[in-house]
Amino acid sequence: MKSILLLQLQRLRREPGLVIWMFVMTIGFVLLLGGFGMGKTTVPVYFGETLSGSEQENLINRLNESDTYAFEITDEDTAIKKVALGEIPHAIKAMKSDYQIVIAADNPDQLLLDQYVKQIYAHELRLQAVEASADSSNVRAEIERNLDESPITLTNITAEEANRTSGYDQKNHYLFGMTLFFSIYTIIFSLGKVAEEKRTGTWNRVILSPVRKWQVYIGHLCYAFMIGFVQILAVFLCFKYVFDFYIGDDFGAIILTTACYTFAIVALGMLMLGLVKSMEQLNALVPIVSVSMAMIGGAYWPIEAVTNSVILAISKLLPITYAMDALKEVVMYNQGIVAIAESLSILLVIGVLCMGVGINLMERKA
Amino acid sequence: MLETTNLKKTFKKDIAVNDVNLYLDKGESVGLLGPNGAGKSTTISMISSLIKPTAGDVTWQGKSIVKDPSVIRLQLGVVPQEIALYKELTANENLKFFGRIYGLKGNLLNERIAHVLDIVGLTERKDELVKNYSGGMQRRINIAVALLHEPEIIIMDEPTVGIDPQSRNYILEMVQKLNRENGMTVLYTSHYMEEVERLCDRIYIMDHGKVIASGTKQELTGILSNEETIVLELDRQYPQLLLQLANIENVLRIIETEKGVKLIAPKKSRLLGKVFQMAEQHHAQIVSVNVQVPTLEDVFLHLTGRKLRD
Ligand SMILES: Nc1ncnc2c1ncn2[C@@H]1O[C@H](COP(=O)(O)OP(=O)(O)OP(=O)(O)O)[C@@H](O)[C@H]1O
Ligand SMILES: [Mg+2]
Repeated sequence: MKSILLLQLQRLRREPGLVIWMFVMTIGFVLLLGGFGMGKTTVPVYFGETLSGSEQENLINRLNESDTYAFEITDEDTAIKKVALGEIPHAIKAMKSDYQIVIAADNPDQLLLDQYVKQIYAHELRLQAVEASADSSNVRAEIERNLDESPITLTNITAEEANRTSGYDQKNHYLFGMTLFFSIYTIIFSLGKVAEEKRTGTWNRVILSPVRKWQVYIGHLCYAFMIGFVQILAVFLCFKYVFDFYIGDDFGAIILTTACYTFAIVALGMLMLGLVKSMEQLNALVPIVSVSMAMIGGAYWPIEAVTNSVILAISKLLPITYAMDALKEVVMYNQGIVAIAESLSILLVIGVLCMGVGINLMERKA
Repeated sequence: MLETTNLKKTFKKDIAVNDVNLYLDKGESVGLLGPNGAGKSTTISMISSLIKPTAGDVTWQGKSIVKDPSVIRLQLGVVPQEIALYKELTANENLKFFGRIYGLKGNLLNERIAHVLDIVGLTERKDELVKNYSGGMQRRINIAVALLHEPEIIIMDEPTVGIDPQSRNYILEMVQKLNRENGMTVLYTSHYMEEVERLCDRIYIMDHGKVIASGTKQELTGILSNEETIVLELDRQYPQLLLQLANIENVLRIIETEKGVKLIAPKKSRLLGKVFQMAEQHHAQIVSVNVQVPTLEDVFLHLTGRKLRD
């Protein structure tokens, strides 16, 4: 088993192209989608009722605290015309205590924008309520200052937990989604060495040796697992230290989630290997499976944005759904291992099932 | 030492191997000859315990390897028909890996590697990547891997396909040496008649999954001992002439060759006169005429009506 694993690593060292490419692709896509170097999405804002100059300014400043959006004051006609012509996906009609999103057609981003703006408004309204009940005009400044400082920040986090969506961070979403998505390729193609060896005949040579067949399988499984596991964690670490992403403090939970997910994908790879007849079929199947899995399982956009019950039901069968869920729980909502135990167990169950069926199919073909 | 009894393999409905009985004694060199798709590789896979027979048995020193494959594995070296090597690694790295999975390590492993590299004559180039080797060199390493664990018996599946005459000659000499000097038992598969003639003490001829003839070279050519072969070379093909020749009373078989025709007929049937006469009728230009003792190839033609290679 050890010899098989070492051999595959040695082969990888000679031809590392695919694995490096997948690593680069992950980083590239996260940066691209996360909006690095591309600037922010511009959202025109117009005011639906008379707000005083300072109120307008205050609101825009608050909105513009976002990393993802740049809010820009325009007049109603221009905003509506641009949306209607499809030049921009949405605009905001801002009122004193409420807002509307102007859209031409439903799009997945609108939900995120809505969440963000809602959060700002809720915050602002709370402040206004306090302000109204107190006399001192300093109250606002004081609360703001306290909010920014530690004692009250704590209460702020509690508030976020109650209103769970408030912790949502799109950059992290892309980071997790893209990393899990690209790792499917790396893992399954690493496992594809089994199919390749069967074709070139080296598999038979190894089987004819005193090494047991299960040891050969374990060697290959370990190899694919290692590659996937290291790739995912390396991407996370790279974003944490190089690009300064916040990925939580509970690195243990992240490692555990990564391990369970990698195991499930390795097992899924075995199932796919059992189903295909050749390397070519595998090469064709991997993109189909990984892309549809990523779309349905919420790696591209948040699963919360999906309302179709069929798609939601399918997503419950996919490992990526649970891994996304667990990572978001840990990083965005500061949950511990207990909260993600269920997701992780499901990943393990999916893994065991796929592995069992996959190995059986493969052995039946032989 | 090794014996198959009524060995049979069917894939879905196709019968690939049908009731094959063959045996190898210790130190023997045995050839398995047959055209494409005859079932040679399938037979070998069953003998080496890679696939299970549909029916029949294979025994090694009296023990069934169908029941327990481990009884033969350490004693057996297999050279597969394809080049089963990791091409992005060097020859040395390939040998190291395959040696390790046979439980070799340390000095012993290095000695064995040096030894087999010497046998196949690639010591100097062991650190080159296999993918940069010529076809002949890849074939030689393919053989070297099978020799690493010093097996008692080596089964070679067409070890010389698609390589230059020089490498081919090298391999043939090497096999001969292993068999004659080291006493290794050899089962050699090929569709090249001359290789099998040169290397093997006994020969099995397979076609359509069946053994259609077997014996020493003398015994096999003896099948046609009362016949002779007339090889007629013409300036081009004359289909009408062929038909007419086939109708000559004594002609047993007639085979179209590249430029002309081969006739198998009983000895002393004095056909040449008739042949010349017919050629004259068709205005065919005779380039050469040869009357030969039948070769193994002719035996095969006689038995199957087909050539070994297309
Ligand atoms: N795995 C398989 N599944 C289905 N049919 C097979 C399989 N392996 C071999 N066959 C069929 O069995 C027959 C014998 O094949 P085999 O490879 O044993 O022939 P061969 O004598 O080695 O030919 P060649 O000289 O081309 O190597 C062929 O008709 C082939 O199509
Ligand atoms: Mg063959």
